[in-house]
Amino acid sequence: MSFFDGLRFRRVSSPVHNLDPRIKFVYACVIFVVAILFWELLPLIVLFVMQIPFVIVARVKREWARSMRGATFLASIIFFINFIFSFISSGYVVTLSALEHALSMTLRFVVLVESFSIFFLTTSPDHLGLALEQSHVPYEFCFAFTTAVRFVPVLAEEAQTIIDAQKARGLELEKGNFLKRVRNYIPILIPLIVSAIRRSLELAEAMESRAWGAVKKRTNLYVLKLRRGDYIFILLTIGILAAAILVRLYLRIPRLEEILTGLA
Amino acid sequence: MAIIETKNLTYTYPGATKPSIKDVSIKIEKGEFVLITGPSGCGKTTLCRCFNGLIPHFYQGELKGEITVAGLRVPERQIYELATHVGMVFQNPENQLFALSVEKDVAFGLENLGIPREEIRKRVDWALKLTGIYELRERTPTELSGGQQQRVAIASVLAMQPEVIVLDEPTSFLDPLGAKRIFEVIYELNRKLGITIVLVEHRLDLTAKYADHIIIMDDGKVVLDGEPHEILSSEEARLIGVGIPKATRLYQILKGDGIKLGGKVPLSSDEMAEMVREALKRL
Repeated sequence: MSFFDGLRFRRVSSPVHNLDPRIKFVYACVIFVVAILFWELLPLIVLFVMQIPFVIVARVKREWARSMRGATFLASIIFFINFIFSFISSGYVVTLSALEHALSMTLRFVVLVESFSIFFLTTSPDHLGLALEQSHVPYEFCFAFTTAVRFVPVLAEEAQTIIDAQKARGLELEKGNFLKRVRNYIPILIPLIVSAIRRSLELAEAMESRAWGAVKKRTNLYVLKLRRGDYIFILLTIGILAAAILVRLYLRIPRLEEILTGLA
Repeated sequence: MAIIETKNLTYTYPGATKPSIKDVSIKIEKGEFVLITGPSGCGKTTLCRCFNGLIPHFYQGELKGEITVAGLRVPERQIYELATHVGMVFQNPENQLFALSVEKDVAFGLENLGIPREEIRKRVDWALKLTGIYELRERTPTELSGGQQQRVAIASVLAMQPEVIVLDEPTSFLDPLGAKRIFEVIYELNRKLGITIVLVEHRLDLTAKYADHIIIMDDGKVVLDGEPHEILSSEEARLIGVGIPKATRLYQILKGDGIKLGGKVPLSSDEMAEMVREALKRL
């Protein structure tokens, strides 16, 4: 089951987990906007480091490290493409500003991944569904979302059972070239899809039996209410955005070159 | 007054050539514990689906005859309307839980009915306590055992406070101990709250002692309908292949050999043990 473990949400309680998901989402978006405001390296480094305390408070260091590692491949592509383009445009010489440009583009992406991974790592799917519902997304969509999350581990387990059963009948998954390998998965996909359809029929039956669609305006057991921590967090978010805009407008941000020459 | 009554009920699934249930006429009284049994494919599940309107509303097909549940004529009512009177628990516990926490699942039906939040909270806690899963309320269904999941399913229909709970082979995915616990929970609901129970089950060994009324079906028809002791000791029941409780069977064999233990046919091993003890005292 190790392969599917990453898909399972662990219920952890921490000050960050308990924040209102809507506000966490706004925070992730604000960080995204701020990252786009700057193309210099220094503020982006500040932005990156600033978020690390959240990861520590939320106790999701390991998961966070994993998602950052997952981003390295794309990040290196972004770095090389940017570097090569500025290398060409500056007349085939490696300049410090070209390097800074490529680095900050990469860091911008990394900051983006960082803030959204904090959001997803600290928000339970339950909360996310609730946030969707209270943001006036039609209930059918929210229900589809939470049910999908609910059935991921179930289907994963079923896939594993089918893989084992087919292997026991002599199916070799790791054999042949790429195309052949893809085709090897057909005997696993078909039973999986068939059983998923059957399952959905049973689910529909159970939903009907529990008064699905009885009234237009359904109630909800839980409500998201903003608490003190949420207000503090939203003030912090607004503060970050305001500070970033002020810095952008009124402060000259030193370039990498200047810092290095200043040091020398 | 009968809470469920059918008259010459015949139903054919869409695309099927022959009816799945034929001429079913039964009467289930309020507060009864009814056991429906019979070989696989005899129409038990189809009959259950008629009780809460899944047939004909969800499955379409052709329904003939009459069926009234809690005074409502099923073909004329919506499923959600019937759902407040008849709760349905299905075979596979996994496929009837949708939410990411037990509590939310139990609340699902009530949320659909638009009941105020405080009331939902009260009823959810009540149902969780009655089924003995209050400590599990914040867990995800995937973390629970089959027996616990099935209790969540029972709690979630119980929260809607129906008059009848229909359970369609609720223990076929469970181990014997889990099954026994489920039956105990159901029996308690029947005794304490007076909820009418319709239980479809093969394991008569574990359930016959709870029943007030047994219906045996075969090939879409009701073949035997009545008092458990009478029905289970009949020759027909054995010939259909119903899993007669071992205690009942033993009693019959002993009787055949000329040993009569007592006047009443035993339905459970406890009853049998008691009778043997009595007989030994008399020696």
